Amino acid sequence: MTPENKVLACVDQSHFADYVADYAAWAARRMDAPLEFLHVIDRHPEQGSGDDHSGAIGIDAQENLLKKLSAEDEAHTESAREQGRIFLNRLRERAIASSTATVDVRQRHGELEETLAEQEADVRLLVLGRRGESAALTHRDLGRNVERVVRALHKPILTVTEGFTEPERVMIAFDGGSVTRRGVEMVAVSPLFRGLPIYLLMSGKPSHDAPKQLEWARTTLQSAGFTVTADLIPGDAESIIASTIKAQAIDLLVMGAFSHSPLRSLLFGSKTAELLRSSTIPTLLLR
Amino acid sequence: MMMKSLRQDWLSNVRNDLLAGLVVALALIPEAIAFSIIAGVDPKVGLYASFSIATIIAFAGGRPGMISAATGAMALVMVMLVKEHGLQYLLAATVLTGVLQILAGWLKLGAQMRFVSRSVITGFVNALAILIFMAQLPELTDVTWHVYAMTAAGLGIIYGFPYITRAVPSPLIAIVVLTAVAIFLGLDIRTVGDMGELPDSLPVFLLPDVPLTFETLKIIFPVSATLAVVGLLESMMTAAIVDDLTDSSSNKNRECVGQGVANIATGFLGGMAGCAMIGQSVINVKSGGRGRLSTLVAGVFLLLMVVFVGDWVARIPMAALVAVMIMVSIGTFNWASIRNLREHPKSSSIVMLATVLVTVGTHDLANGVLVGVLLSGFFFAHKVGRILRVSSQTEDQGRVRTYNVTGQVFFASSERFINAFDYKEVIEKVRIDVSRAHFWDITAVSALDKVVIKFRREATAVEVIGLNQASATMVDRFAVHDKDGGDDIMMGH
Repeated sequence: MTPENKVLACVDQSHFADYVADYAAWAARRMDAPLEFLHVIDRHPEQGSGDDHSGAIGIDAQENLLKKLSAEDEAHTESAREQGRIFLNRLRERAIASSTATVDVRQRHGELEETLAEQEADVRLLVLGRRGESAALTHRDLGRNVERVVRALHKPILTVTEGFTEPERVMIAFDGGSVTRRGVEMVAVSPLFRGLPIYLLMSGKPSHDAPKQLEWARTTLQSAGFTVTADLIPGDAESIIASTIKAQAIDLLVMGAFSHSPLRSLLFGSKTAELLRSSTIPTLLLR
Repeated sequence: MMMKSLRQDWLSNVRNDLLAGLVVALALIPEAIAFSIIAGVDPKVGLYASFSIATIIAFAGGRPGMISAATGAMALVMVMLVKEHGLQYLLAATVLTGVLQILAGWLKLGAQMRFVSRSVITGFVNALAILIFMAQLPELTDVTWHVYAMTAAGLGIIYGFPYITRAVPSPLIAIVVLTAVAIFLGLDIRTVGDMGELPDSLPVFLLPDVPLTFETLKIIFPVSATLAVVGLLESMMTAAIVDDLTDSSSNKNRECVGQGVANIATGFLGGMAGCAMIGQSVINVKSGGRGRLSTLVAGVFLLLMVVFVGDWVARIPMAALVAVMIMVSIGTFNWASIRNLREHPKSSSIVMLATVLVTVGTHDLANGVLVGVLLSGFFFAHKVGRILRVSSQTEDQGRVRTYNVTGQVFFASSERFINAFDYKEVIEKVRIDVSRAHFWDITAVSALDKVVIKFRREATAVEVIGLNQASATMVDRFAVHDKDGGDDIMMGH
């Protein structure tokens, strides 16, 4: 079986889903790839439902309990499935309306992370909302799934926030590392940004071979036919990236993600997570 | 990943786990007392055990949401030891039981549960229910009518009260009401306080007071071995039940080790050996308990209750406890198995009934299970032994007869195999094609030898075809089941 090379948009039933859908449709159109909406229905066997605290067990207690619990699960799954189907179809129509060629939908049971790992082989680009259903409740700036998903996968992931504007100015946060070097090569051959001006930014601690590496990135992209502006601004990468996004009116950021171990980001915080929190533009994360 | 599963096991269901743990703790108290009485020790031995086992298994067990404590199955095994040698030997045996269970976990014996068939499990459960019920009978013989009335009223409350509200455990209501009535009317009936000492403090670490000699080991080892087997059997069965109920999976070997750790600690804290409890685990799941927290709450709350309201616990009439235990026995019994007796294959029913009868007869669940497992193996061999066909036809104008053997040849079918040939036939040569048969053991091979010799005596030449393929199934020697393509050899011909 050949991989489908599809754009996979992970959606949950929040208003962010619309923006995920819009960006996914945009990417699918540009790359001429099939688009699939994935809705994962979480099941929680570790959570009980208990309104019966009578503590009395009578004849066939075990059979009756098994029947009751499986009937509850069944009813719950059925309603979730139907709700999800209607919701997914709405998104599909939205994508078709924006003239995306092939759009499919899929619902799966399980955890997001596991499901994505299973689907990964067929995926070319993953689109994910940075916040989701629980955003209003938890007031988190970054959905709890995002880091886990990004760490678990090895495909480029486009993370989006609120609102959709068709990207016109793309910035690559280049650090000379292997991940972003591969990223530059990927951008060079991909139809995703073809025709868009690209702003190459290198920041962080100054090193002597930085100009050479930046030059390599610039020529790689230029020879692929991109209009490239390259800049080397030493200093704190995070704040420089943020301020340059504003100054240059960038509307899509490309960067490497979570290159350090989970333990390190637990102790010192993660640059990737900080940037994802502070910026509001869609960000393509490279693994 | 580890943090995630820790959080999932402990904190994903906090409210329900807390409430379910309370419900379970309230039901555990009468059970722990009742099982102590079965074993012939003070109620505090069972209560300390239930606290310690539940608390430790909450951390060490392999099946979140399952309740372990002092149990009837284990209490029955230790009766003689307590009677003949006393409590200290029981504590030592409890520690040894734990050691054996940890060994079983390390040897991954949890997986061997697959040899225990459904019918044996049903028999085990039914026998357990019957034994719990029978253990209540001493409380109901040679007593005044008050006790019968109290027990009946208790059962009435337990099963009737849930129709009014399911928010409060009805066994608790039964106990409270019956205790109040007994005190108010000043009834002269037996109470928990009459049965022995109740805990007045938290348990303390104590080495069992036994001589560390080979003699001691000889006394406690047989009991410990039985306890280890019975405890693991009931725990594995209960884990499977909880798996089914909650549609999730458990780590059986971790559960074995966990049971062992819990029993070792319990022995040092002055408690009797225990294991998972079917009835209590069902109650826990029914009340919404799913996580490890429910088990922990059950254990801790049980101890707090008993230590701080111990005076009141002592005044609970035994009739109330008997009512609770009758409920447990009714809830544990597999009533469907009686309805199924007529529909299920006779061999399954015989296995189930044999397990029950042997267990009830010997008061030892290990014996029952052993008989059940042996019987199911016997019936299986008998059934598979019938899958053997030998057909034949003459060839070469009546000079040669070819026998085609298909099916399973092994100890149970070798007799049929030998008798399938016509030795009296006057013929030059027979050809025996066994390439479509499976020769499972040495008995099968020697049966074939016998057939060949019998034919030779009649001056008939014998040619055997396909023996290599057929005997490839003697897996001990060739171990085909381990190799690639083993399936083809086993199934292909």
